[in-house]
Amino acid sequence: MTTRLVLALLLMAIWTGCRRTVPPPGEPMADALRAEEKEGGLTYSASLGKPVFAQYCATCHGDAGKGDGQNAYNLVPPPPDFTTSKNLVDEAYVRRVIAEGSAAVGRSPLSPPYGHTLSPQEIDYVTIYCQALARKK
Amino acid sequence: MREPQQAPFGVHVAFAILGLVFLAVFSRIYLGEQGAEWRRTQAQFETLQVGLKNPHQLAEAASVAGLRQIWLSDLDRVDRCTTCHLGIDDPAYSRAPQPFRTHPGGWLATHPDDRFGCTACHDGQGQATDYHGAAHHPIPFVERSMRPLETIEANCGTCHRSLDPPAAPRLAAGRQLIVDSGCVSCHDIPGFEGVTFAGPALDNEGYKVRAEWLVAWLQDPKAYLTRSKMGNFRLTREEMSALQAFLLSQRQQAPLPAVGVDWSKANSDDGKALFGELRCTSCHAINGRGGTMGPELTRVGDKVRRDWLLSFLKDPHRDQPDTAMLQYRLTDDQVRDLAAYLYQELRGGEAAPETPAAPFQDARAVAQGRAVFVKRGCYSCHRLPGVSVTGKIGPSLAGVADHDPDQLTYGTGNVRHTTDNYLYLKLLNPAAGGSPSLMPTFGFTPSAAATIALALASLRKTDLPASRVVWHPPAVPYRPQGAFGELVTRYRCMSCHRIRGSGGDLSTVPLDRIGSQLQRDYLVAYLQNPGAVRVSVEARMPVFHMLRAEAETIADYATTVFVDDAIDGYDARFTPSEVQRGEQLYAALGCVGCHQINTKGGYVGPDLTNTGSRLKPGWIATWLSNPQRAKPGTMDPNYALSPSDVRALTAYLSQLRASTQPGNPQAGASKGAGGGR
Repeated sequence: MTTRLVLALLLMAIWTGCRRTVPPPGEPMADALRAEEKEGGLTYSASLGKPVFAQYCATCHGDAGKGDGQNAYNLVPPPPDFTTSKNLVDEAYVRRVIAEGSAAVGRSPLSPPYGHTLSPQEIDYVTIYCQALARKK
Repeated sequence: MREPQQAPFGVHVAFAILGLVFLAVFSRIYLGEQGAEWRRTQAQFETLQVGLKNPHQLAEAASVAGLRQIWLSDLDRVDRCTTCHLGIDDPAYSRAPQPFRTHPGGWLATHPDDRFGCTACHDGQGQATDYHGAAHHPIPFVERSMRPLETIEANCGTCHRSLDPPAAPRLAAGRQLIVDSGCVSCHDIPGFEGVTFAGPALDNEGYKVRAEWLVAWLQDPKAYLTRSKMGNFRLTREEMSALQAFLLSQRQQAPLPAVGVDWSKANSDDGKALFGELRCTSCHAINGRGGTMGPELTRVGDKVRRDWLLSFLKDPHRDQPDTAMLQYRLTDDQVRDLAAYLYQELRGGEAAPETPAAPFQDARAVAQGRAVFVKRGCYSCHRLPGVSVTGKIGPSLAGVADHDPDQLTYGTGNVRHTTDNYLYLKLLNPAAGGSPSLMPTFGFTPSAAATIALALASLRKTDLPASRVVWHPPAVPYRPQGAFGELVTRYRCMSCHRIRGSGGDLSTVPLDRIGSQLQRDYLVAYLQNPGAVRVSVEARMPVFHMLRAEAETIADYATTVFVDDAIDGYDARFTPSEVQRGEQLYAALGCVGCHQINTKGGYVGPDLTNTGSRLKPGWIATWLSNPQRAKPGTMDPNYALSPSDVRALTAYLSQLRASTQPGNPQAGASKGAGGGR
């Protein structure tokens, strides 16, 4: 009888010792939304720039900013590849091209100015998104 | 006289101890308050301020000492967040460490903190003055910890009740999904009043579909149609065969007679060519490619009966009065070839013979099927004569976000109990919560389910004061009348085009001002033979085979009614120097990047080769002055041109003509003024 008791206590002690701490409860809904962002390595702000980019920019710049949009082949000079361009590091430069057009930085006028079309907030988001695309090699 | 009674010694001791305890307690409170977290934070801020600002600015700056709070009496909220978030509305702190950093974005410009506080958007415990107590992270037993940014747009929706809330793309997407998925058929949802959703009419189902297809469909709609909006009702075998019997007994109106149709002469190759020419793929996909307004047709031959198909192609509105599909003007041979192509070529395997169309006679099975039809709420989407509708089958979703999270079911996973997570899991798998559910499984992707859950999470119980609610009423439905109205109905113009706030949005600009936009002769030619100018746009105007008289009726109505005098009154007498300057501007602004003239240029916007015969000058000027006002969301940027620049460009574009006269492919290949898509 005593042996059994001791054995049971011992087993309980081992079980308690081995038991891991309970992991924090999951947040499946937020995780599902985050999964989309994680896939592109995006922050929330950058993910807000994605639909803006898709609507206004991707036809020429391509979905990934590689300068391979369907209209890119009609353009001379062609749009740059964000992932190799050094200009994308400069936030002010990117913002300026978006708001004032590529002519404003002394390039061709083919990238039009969106400063009177997009809200300042949208320009913020799309700037962040372009820079996020540039970091993805 | 009696001696004053001496209290026993023990009482003295007790009082002394009590006094010491009080001293200790009050000291603890005093010292704790002096060393409170927020005081340390404010001290840090003062140090930071000295580093960031010059003495003059410092003298100007208001003192930060003490608790700060925002009291929103109409919302019954007190937010003390600004006690620590001291630089929240001062751009000087945009790079300061938290909690002092400026609020990102322009949100405080539109939602100043003294009018909206913090927790209205972020949630959290606004009255707390320490990091932990404010519920920056979830705390057990505290509802509404701060929302992570990923789901914060749910709170935008509490005040912004319109279906297209501004600057909240996820909320807008979620609400759109609610509209598209037909949630409103079964649930009352605040904010979606007036939104309707209907599946196909079933009153001729017995003539329409094959018996074996129907069972397979009821078992799993997504197996036949991956984009099907119908959910999986998890029916038992008995329920399915009963429903099959009931639905196949629905034979209200026989198809148009197919006598005289010689199927041996049918040419499915011609039918296939016609399928392309009519631009059926604008709405119907085959093998995943094509539009999504109509059902995918990849295996339609496995589904329908031939006679029904022929009849439907001849007159779709006879069988399905609510369909978005237009009625083409086709010859009997064309209809036969088209039916032959759809029926023979578009199927999963070998053609199985159609089971006889004899009515299902088993009255018992039919009655059982009717009971299933009613019990599972099929009538919510499929109205059927003889089945009365009494209210919505699902519960109202008003205030769904304010349910007590601990009273809800979450399945077996280790999940934090929040209404967000409940809604998400319910949408993914309605039956997983443990309680039986009549709600079908819709097969949402995780991100779609989360986006819908986010939109539903804005449905709070608390009634906001009317001054806080941002909402615009939906437009009164526009129904065109007369001969024009009949044509608009026949050709289902409003499946894609928007007029006075009603109709679809698959096309370019709303048609409200189309008469001031397009020249009448061009419109007549275009309606008879619609070309397409932007090769990059996949959804094209169908080729109706419209009669000239019909085209003229539409064009006359449009140029009389859908006009804007401000546009039509534009002075179109241009000087040669204006034209010349316009041409220079066209080059300098880089228009060639998106527009073609004589095959030179990009193909994002419309081809401009024939602009002079197509657009009215007043419209060109209106568009150039502010494209977004003419068509919200268009890609064409607003260049903020001066009126004289607008005029010069208008002069240049107005004299562009295709080298040959209308009727040639180039002239026909132009479309309404560029609406970006």
